[in-house]
Amino acid sequence: MNARQPFNPLQAQLVAEAFNATGVDYLFIGKSGAILLGYPGTTQDVDVFPAKSVENGRRIVEALLKLEFTLNENTQGEIIRGKDFVQLKDGPFDLDLIFAPDGIESFAQAKARAVREDIFPVANLSDIIASKKASGRMKDRLDLHLLELFRVEYESRMS
Amino acid sequence: MTAIQTIDREALEASAFREQCRRQMARPLEARMKYGFCRVHRPVLDTPGTRVFSSTKEYREWCADNLPAYLGFQPAPVE
Repeated sequence: MNARQPFNPLQAQLVAEAFNATGVDYLFIGKSGAILLGYPGTTQDVDVFPAKSVENGRRIVEALLKLEFTLNENTQGEIIRGKDFVQLKDGPFDLDLIFAPDGIESFAQAKARAVREDIFPVANLSDIIASKKASGRMKDRLDLHLLELFRVEYESRMS
Repeated sequence: MTAIQTIDREALEASAFREQCRRQMARPLEARMKYGFCRVHRPVLDTPGTRVFSSTKEYREWCADNLPAYLGFQPAPVE
């Protein structure tokens, strides 16, 4: 098991640098994606929506090993196969790989709508909100009202 | 509090939050991350290890069955 390092709030940057260097096709989603866009909320985890393919899975594994995640052969295989939800807690920080997020029809369509914040490819705020609506969880429902208020300001700034 | 007072208060809170959004969007990315990512202990969820789920539905069910309710991972009541 990887010894947990002190918490690093720049973990999303570490993911982006490693994934970009390895050529992973992915998007930041969830509240971590919204925070990158400027949403004034907090989260502990980085949530990533990767494209599902064997090649992309191999790139993800390569990037995660470079980040010093502990991945046994079984976990590596699950990532390469694109198992819908992989929750990694044996690394320098927590990371969720979500190959089939609620409320988003496909990676290709999400990528077509995605935005770029510096080195970070981020799902469109509409997709982030749609995913939270579709999840049906208490915590997401509480966030939705604030995310909708943020959307008004975000779209105003972007227009 | 009357209904009108409730509406006024909600409008003020929404306005204040939107101002907070404008301030946060004006900050550089590094500042957004430093403000936005923080560790809060979450029982069960923070247990080291890897969890793999065949579907997002399976993940949701695991959360609902295993995590304390106050973390908010349970399904919200149908509206």
